[in-house]
Amino acid sequence: MGKHRGFLLVIVGLLIAALWVIVQTPPRLGLDLRGGAQLTLQVKTTEKVRQITPTILEATLKVVENRINGLGVSESQVQTAGDDKLLVQLPGVTDPEAAERVLKGTAQLDFRWQKPGTEAQLPIEKQLEGQLLFEQIKLLAAQAQLEGENKPTELAENQAALDKNKESLAKSAAAIQNLFEKTDLTGAMVREALASPVGPGSQSWSVVIRFDTQGATLFADLTKRVAGTGRSIGIFLDDKLISSPTVSVEYAQTGIQGGSAEISGGFTAQTANDLAVQLQAGALPVPLELVENRTVGATLGQDSIRSSVIAGIGGLALVLVFMVAYYRLPGAIANIALMLYAIYTYAVFLLLGVTLTLPGIAGFILSIGMAVDANVLIFERTREELWAGRTLYRSVESGFERAFASILDSNVTTLIACGALFWLGSGLVRGFALTLAIGVAVSMFTALTCSRTLLFISLTFPSLRKPNWFCPRLESAR
Amino acid sequence: MSWSVTKNRYLWWGVSVVTIVAGLVAMVISWTNPQIQAPLKLGLDFVGGTRLQVVLDCAQAGACDQPVDLADVRAILSEQGLGNSSLQVVDQTGISIRTQPLDVDQRTKLVSQLAQGLGKFDPKQTQIETVGPTLGRQLLNSGLLALLVSFVGITVYLTLRFQFDYAFFALVALVHDVLVTIGIFAILGITLGVEVDSLFVVALLTIIGFSVNDTVVIYDRIRENLKIHPENSIDDVVDDSVNQTLTRSINTTLTTTLPLIAIVFFGGETLRFFALALIIGFVSGAYSSIFCASTLLGWWRQREA
Repeated sequence: MGKHRGFLLVIVGLLIAALWVIVQTPPRLGLDLRGGAQLTLQVKTTEKVRQITPTILEATLKVVENRINGLGVSESQVQTAGDDKLLVQLPGVTDPEAAERVLKGTAQLDFRWQKPGTEAQLPIEKQLEGQLLFEQIKLLAAQAQLEGENKPTELAENQAALDKNKESLAKSAAAIQNLFEKTDLTGAMVREALASPVGPGSQSWSVVIRFDTQGATLFADLTKRVAGTGRSIGIFLDDKLISSPTVSVEYAQTGIQGGSAEISGGFTAQTANDLAVQLQAGALPVPLELVENRTVGATLGQDSIRSSVIAGIGGLALVLVFMVAYYRLPGAIANIALMLYAIYTYAVFLLLGVTLTLPGIAGFILSIGMAVDANVLIFERTREELWAGRTLYRSVESGFERAFASILDSNVTTLIACGALFWLGSGLVRGFALTLAIGVAVSMFTALTCSRTLLFISLTFPSLRKPNWFCPRLESAR
Repeated sequence: MSWSVTKNRYLWWGVSVVTIVAGLVAMVISWTNPQIQAPLKLGLDFVGGTRLQVVLDCAQAGACDQPVDLADVRAILSEQGLGNSSLQVVDQTGISIRTQPLDVDQRTKLVSQLAQGLGKFDPKQTQIETVGPTLGRQLLNSGLLALLVSFVGITVYLTLRFQFDYAFFALVALVHDVLVTIGIFAILGITLGVEVDSLFVVALLTIIGFSVNDTVVIYDRIRENLKIHPENSIDDVVDDSVNQTLTRSINTTLTTTLPLIAIVFFGGETLRFFALALIIGFVSGAYSSIFCASTLLGWWRQREA
């Protein structure tokens, strides 16, 4: 009996933990439920870039991220998908047109030189932009929170502030652009860009750029023009200043020769790498093609979540009634295990940060139906043992023992199908496979451990130890 | 209660064969239909295209007094050279349009033309889906590959846990369930215009994972009974095993399909046919486990002996 008490503690402990997780963590709803746009972009090969390597994909991701940040959408997300695709999620966006326009096309990297007489202005403008960006981050976070809280007035106010901030940012970017003049040196002439430590064992990093022959000449020219003047070279990606290094006076005669340049100045390994990746991306003229766009209005998502959840719960209620009606006491205990199953599984979803999509919810509802199967197998076995004249305790025990092989085999086959889905599927399909697989794994635990423990504990109460409560009509049949 | 499943095995197999042949015929009909040209009516996910669903903004006075007139919509579409698109009115004030893949500019133009002709739309209810034709083909290919991989995986696993002939007949039952489900959807495609999307592939894979459960449970019993009564004929063992697991098969099918039935009748539009596919597959799975997989195994072992 001590063993069962121990298990009971574990079950109750897990229940408290799961409930705590559910109260603490808000669910992550997929775009099909909360409304928004999901765009899939394919990175195309060109004559120059014949194969999309992980580096290229990573670099393109950075470019797309930059562009998305320019849109000012709260909780936007960019992920790689497969070998050559990017998945962009824009929750709450009902009009994906702006996004589509911004996302298409090739990244443009170019080098500009600062106009004379603007030395004092640049730091001021850069500081202003920094402040605006900081403000934007705060506003976006507030927006995401307000959306969750359903406060329309505050939401509208915040949205207005956000729009104003976006406008100021655009103005500030234009002001910065105005301080520079275009040159002929573009990203197409960059051969590579790397982050490298300044010296051995040093904490400080720099970014090394290598140009092709034409780029080397242009770069020497450019550096000669600004060396020692206190003005800087402007490195622009998609017309946005990403870095503005100055050139020291020693290069005033010849410019930086040899087609290789080093941008130094307070980089950490991380920031140096970020800049290198951005430069690399600008150097890659890989076009993006929009291959998929799914936009769901906010109301539509909510309607279908509501009706499906209500229907699913209704169906489950019928299952619960059936279990008690048919299996009596064990059925009631299986129902408790089933509810534990639902709570545990939902908590695991939240812990793993699973995004709940409509198919995901279907997978969840389905897995509840399947979780019953293990208990049905066990109770059928228990009944057979009772018919064969065993004692109640012994029957329950061998019910669990003998059903185990079947439960294991049938769940493994389901997991194999889940594995195939997860491995070969994408997007929604993967979500379904993952939720179903988690469901199957948790159901093994609840069916085998929870119902077993609860059943044996109930057997310690003499008032519950009646074979008729396990198998109606047994006594009269004997 | 004891009843022999092996006695009428030709009848059971006949039921399966007739169902499958009916489905195959539907697939051929659908293939020769110039508007479908595939065994199943393939949805947007697989063939590519744009689906646009817009709903009139009823907050404005008088905007929703009259239902949308399809002739108006068709006229606007023909103007844009999209005359061959399919159209549907949704809840009187909404329209769902399916066209060839449109890019942003074409789409913007179409929406603004529609808004001019019909009235303002509610952006909160707008739904846009565009899938490029290449992506559609990839999705279809990876779906079929996933089916194949799980067939192989399950066969290998069952061969290890049981024996090859068990695994082979379980596979036959699986293919049976997949064919029955696809066949019924081919029929639904011809008669009601039901399309299959990537969720349908998900449904097929779930059916595979789940319907093999039923087979495994019966096999487990057959193996156990063979050990306890090695002197019995294989047909008797199969009959006993099916009888012993029958209540479980019925109850489990009931508990899994109950929530699904609720979704078909009361759930949202998106999941309705997904749930229906699962119900068909699960019922077919229970049938094939009891009436095909086990009886085929009995027939095979008897021939061997």
